[in-house]
Amino acid sequence: MAEVVLEVEHLAKVYKLGAIGTGSLRQDLQYWWNKNILKKEDPFFQQKDEEAEMNNELIWALRDINFKVNQGEALGIIGSNGSGKSTLLKIISRIVQPSKGLVRGKGKVNSILEVGTGFHSELSGRENIYNSGYILGMNKEEIRSKFDEIVAFSGIEKFIDTPVKRYSSGMYVRLAFAVAAHLEPDILIVDEVLAVGDADFQKKCMGKMQEVSHTKGRTILFVSHNMQAVTNLCTTALWLNAGRMKMMGNARDVVASYIGNSKQFRTGQSWDEPETAPGNHFIRMKSIEVKPIGSVKNDMITVETPIQLDVEFWCLQEGFDMNINVRLLTNAGECIFDLGSPSVKAEKAVLGLRSIIPGNLLNNNNYIIGLTVVKNHSTHLYAFTNCISFDVEDMREGMSYFGLWPGIIRPQIDTSFFKKVNLD
Amino acid sequence: MLHQEQKWDWEIQSRPKFKWGVRDILSYRHLLGSLVRREFLLNYQQTILGPVWILFQPLLTLVTYVLVFGKLIGIPTGENLPPVLFYFSGIVLWNFFNDSFVGTSNTFRDNIQIFSKVYFPRIIMPLSVLFTHFFRLLVQLILLVLMIGYYIIFKDFHVPLSPNLLLVPLAIILTGVISFTLGLFFSVLTAKYRDISNLVYVGIRLLMFVTPVIYPLSAVQEKLRWVVNINPLTPLFELFRLGLLGQGTVAPLQLLYCILFIVLTLFGSLYLFTKQGSKLIDVV
Repeated sequence: MAEVVLEVEHLAKVYKLGAIGTGSLRQDLQYWWNKNILKKEDPFFQQKDEEAEMNNELIWALRDINFKVNQGEALGIIGSNGSGKSTLLKIISRIVQPSKGLVRGKGKVNSILEVGTGFHSELSGRENIYNSGYILGMNKEEIRSKFDEIVAFSGIEKFIDTPVKRYSSGMYVRLAFAVAAHLEPDILIVDEVLAVGDADFQKKCMGKMQEVSHTKGRTILFVSHNMQAVTNLCTTALWLNAGRMKMMGNARDVVASYIGNSKQFRTGQSWDEPETAPGNHFIRMKSIEVKPIGSVKNDMITVETPIQLDVEFWCLQEGFDMNINVRLLTNAGECIFDLGSPSVKAEKAVLGLRSIIPGNLLNNNNYIIGLTVVKNHSTHLYAFTNCISFDVEDMREGMSYFGLWPGIIRPQIDTSFFKKVNLD
Repeated sequence: MLHQEQKWDWEIQSRPKFKWGVRDILSYRHLLGSLVRREFLLNYQQTILGPVWILFQPLLTLVTYVLVFGKLIGIPTGENLPPVLFYFSGIVLWNFFNDSFVGTSNTFRDNIQIFSKVYFPRIIMPLSVLFTHFFRLLVQLILLVLMIGYYIIFKDFHVPLSPNLLLVPLAIILTGVISFTLGLFFSVLTAKYRDISNLVYVGIRLLMFVTPVIYPLSAVQEKLRWVVNINPLTPLFELFRLGLLGQGTVAPLQLLYCILFIVLTLFGSLYLFTKQGSKLIDVV
C-alpha cells in the first residue's frame, strides 16, 4: 500500500460576512480581558458566533473536508468558482489558518498559487530568479544548480540581466513559471497556472507537471478549470461544491459527473399544437431531440459517443414523395455533411425520423442540425435551418496535449509509423 | 489490518501550539539576505546619486539642526563638543530607530500581496527591514567616524580613548532591538485597527522630542527630567554619545531598566506576531 503523505480531517473555514475584522479595539480588549484574565465567558461574546450563523453572517468557505493523498498521487480539485478550491489550497500551504480541523503531512510542501510571486519589476531577471526562488522555499544551492536550466526553460537567455519591467508580459510569465517549475518539493500545490500564457506555454507547463508527477513520483495537488488537464494529469479528483466535498474518486469519473452536472446535455424541443409549430401547410415540426447513445454517464455527448437524432413532424398533405435532408453544420453555418433520407410517401400522419451519428467522428465543438424537406426530389417545401444546436465534449486519454483539438470533425483514422530502411 | 501510528512531519491546526520556529527561520536565511540586497538595489536604482543618498539625507538634516536648534534656538550641546558631531550622532541613531520602526510596523500592509500567496516565516520580512537599516546605519557611522577624525586632527577636539567605546555597539544593538520590538507590536495592531497607523506616525514624531536627540540629557531641567527618563531610548542615546564622543549621562539603573524593558517587550511582541501572523491574512 502506498504511503499516505497528506491527510485532511474535518477541515472547515469560516468567514464572517461584511464586517470583517472591524471588531473595535475596545471590544477586542474587553473580550480578551474577560476570557484570559477574569476567566469568565462573556455572554455577549459567547452568543456572537451562533447569532451570526443564524443571521447568515457566516460564510462556510469549507466544511467538513476529509481526504488522504498517497505518495506520488496527483489529486485534481475541481468545482465552480467560489466552491472553496483556493481556500483549501491556501490552508494546506499554511497561508490561511483553518477554523476547524486538521491537516498533516510529510515532507516539504511548495505551492504555486500565482505565477510570479516575489517578482519585482525593477530587478533583473537574474535577481528575480534568486528572489522568487528563495520566497518559494528553495535554498541557495538548489537555485544555483538549476539556474541554467531555469533560464533555458524560460528561453530569455539574452535578457537575463535586464530589469523585468522591460520584459514583454509573455517573457515575464515564462520566467516566473520557469522558477516555479523547478521547485522540487515532496508535495506540490498548484492553482490555475494554466490560466496564463498562450497555448504553447500551457503545453510546456503541463508537460513539466506531468514529468514531476509521473516520472519523479512527487505528489501534486492541482486546481484547474481545464477538465482536460485534470483528467490527464490526475489520478484522483475531488469535486468541491459550495465548500463541501461532493465527490471524490477516479479523476475521469469525477470530471464526467462534474461536467454532466454543470451542463444540460439532453437538448431538444417540442411543440404541442401544429398551429404554433414552425412549418407551413405541408409540414409542421412536432419535436426534435439530440441525445447520446450508450452507457456514458450523465447523458453527456462526448467525442466518443454516438449521437441519436430523433425528429417527429406532422405531415399535413398527401400524394407525393417526400425526402428530409438532415444537415450537420458548424456553428458558423458551414455544412459538414448532408444525410439524404430515403423517400417516403407523404400521408396525413405524425411521421418520425431517426438518424444516428457514429461516435469518434465529431470534434469538441458546437454543432447545429438543420432539416430541409423536399417534394418529389425537386421542390423545396420547407427549410428548418438552425433546428437545434448541441455541444460535443472532449474526452482524451494518454495524451499530453491539452489545447483545443483543431478541425471541424475528428474521425478516427488509423495512422501508424513504420520503418522502411535502416540508415546505418 | 494493523493500524500503524503515522509519523507526520508537519501539522496545521485551527489553534496551533505556539512555536518560536527558529529552525524554520534559519532555513529561510537566504531569503533574508536576498531581501536586504533587494532593498538596497531598489532604493538606488535609476537615481543619479545612487547610494550617496544614504549619506546625503542625514547630512541635510544635520545642516538644518545645526542652524535651527544650534544657532537659532541655541540649545547647549555640551562643553568642548562640536555641535556638528553632537547632532550628527543623534541623527544617525535616531534615523536608524525611526526607519526600522516605521518599516517593521508596516509589515502586513506592505506585504499582504506576498503573504496571501506563499508561506514563509512572516518574521523574515520585518527582519529584512531591520537589517537593511542596520547596514545603512553602518555606512553613516563611517561618515561620523571620519567627521570625528577631522575634528580631532584639525579642530583640536579631544576624545579620551577608553573602554567606553565598547558601549557603542551595545547602544546600536539595543536600539535596533527596541525598534524591531515596537515595530512588530504595531504591525499587528495597525493590520487589525487601521486608525492606529496614523497614531504611529504622530507618536514617533513626538517621541523624538522626549529622546535626547537634539539636546543632551544634562540640559533638561531637573523637574522635567523624569519625562525623558521613562523613555527607554534615553540611556541608549546617552550611551552612544558617551562611547563615541565621551559625553553623556547614563545611570546604571537606567540602563538596567532599559534592558529589562527590551527583554519583556521583545518576547511579548514576538509571541503576538507569531501567534497573530497567520490569522491576520483574513483581516488585512
